[in-house]
Amino acid sequence: MKALTYRGPSTMKVAEKPDPRIEHPNDVVLRVTRTAICGSDLHLYHGLVPDTRVGTTFGHEFTGVVEEVGPGVQSLVRGDRVLVPFNISCGTCFFCSRGLTSCCDNSNPANDMVAGVFGYSHTTGGYDGGQAELVRVPYADVGPMKIPADMHEEDVLFLTDILPTGYQAAEMGDIKEGETVVVFGAGPVGLMTAKSAWLQGAGRVIVVDELDYRLDLARSWANAETINFTEHGKHGVVQYLKDITDGRRGPDVAIDAVGCEASGSFLQKALGLSMLQAGAATALMWAIQSVRRGGNVVAIGVYGPPWNLVPLGEAMNKGLTIRAAQCNVKRYLPHLLEHIRAGRIDPKGIISHRLALEDGPDAYRIFAAKRDNCTKCVLVPKAA
Amino acid sequence: MAIYAPNSILGWGVDLRQEDRPGVPQELTPKPIGNPPYAHPEPQHNGRPTALDVQRPVTPTYGTVVPMRGLSGLIRTAAYKVPSYLPRRWMMLMMADRIDVIEHNIVPLATLLGGAAVAVTGIVFAMRSRR
Repeated sequence: MKALTYRGPSTMKVAEKPDPRIEHPNDVVLRVTRTAICGSDLHLYHGLVPDTRVGTTFGHEFTGVVEEVGPGVQSLVRGDRVLVPFNISCGTCFFCSRGLTSCCDNSNPANDMVAGVFGYSHTTGGYDGGQAELVRVPYADVGPMKIPADMHEEDVLFLTDILPTGYQAAEMGDIKEGETVVVFGAGPVGLMTAKSAWLQGAGRVIVVDELDYRLDLARSWANAETINFTEHGKHGVVQYLKDITDGRRGPDVAIDAVGCEASGSFLQKALGLSMLQAGAATALMWAIQSVRRGGNVVAIGVYGPPWNLVPLGEAMNKGLTIRAAQCNVKRYLPHLLEHIRAGRIDPKGIISHRLALEDGPDAYRIFAAKRDNCTKCVLVPKAA
Repeated sequence: MAIYAPNSILGWGVDLRQEDRPGVPQELTPKPIGNPPYAHPEPQHNGRPTALDVQRPVTPTYGTVVPMRGLSGLIRTAAYKVPSYLPRRWMMLMMADRIDVIEHNIVPLATLLGGAAVAVTGIVFAMRSRR
């Protein structure tokens, strides 16, 4: 099969790889119909995630058609169209049974931090991802959801990650009616978070970024107020957020939807580049600094081990609640599917680029450089 | 900077109540999620895990792609013997990643160029010998 493969930092290549096979009775093999490049794939692409091996295929956002079915699978048959959550979850362990599928104990032998994830380095189990013509999907009775017959792949593609991730970010902020929510990052997850904050009753949603074209989308697609932090001087966005909120207290909820490759702080960037910390935690730092006392801070942007520089003393003294997670995608699927059906969220509205799988290396270059007003790239394999 | 009136936004507040939010409470009363046809998944017998923390049992399913190889593989094997809470593990894995890139891009290129140089030298030598 053809697959996009990692060759080293900032280098991807389309290569021939052996077809995936059924390796466990509860596996299926899918023929991929749509696959997206996630912002967090860029952390892999830039060589920031430990144990990212040359030859790995990325991709944890994909839909497909069931091609081959393991002997133990009961819910799916050949020909079913499915979307697949990025977490690989057994459905029965201590964590899955409590709804914490991102913490599954039975899919990642590499460490006890996180469940297996498709195409996200060997740190999350060493599974190939969906940026290929075919992909192996373990625990097929648990994760995958059949795509309703009246819906197109692109209507539901982002249920695999960014929409539930954004929704869970807003949810972890424990938003109460009328509260002010600031979202750092106008990338795909930031946009989904802003949209979800409205559904959860926010009174004001503010999105912070440095790219005007993305802030335009935050206004038009997510109805958010926007701030370009480069217009407010060095770290001035923190004071500005306090100045524009009630009582100059700061937002009630602050959400980091950027993760470890944030711009805006020379110190953070330098410490990240010199490997003294795992990337730049600028967005999380600003979230802690700008939120009101007693407020809620959410880290949903991706960070890797081992540590990052954040103002913990400020968080402690302000009495903040900090929550962080990989999304437990499975438990959000029916609920968010209803929001899509009702037209409350149109996830495909953020797709800026559709390319053939063979053009994957270009797609990575465009997305990483944020060229051509790129917000979200979707790859379409030939057989789709 | 436009300020939006919430009530003009389609769906505003539909999930305002905590009980309408699928992730609340964070931890559910234990019960299987999805439709698993087992109480506990059976172990995978095909292939071998390509990343295995020696402090953890092998999980019932695991990835088998891109096995460890070369010097980078030796470093990764050593790294997975270090507990994940020690930064040393992650530093070793990052170093192995850089060596992996050299092994699979620069070494093959150097080998190819070296082979070509030997071939050209051989051809030149053979042609001169004929004269």
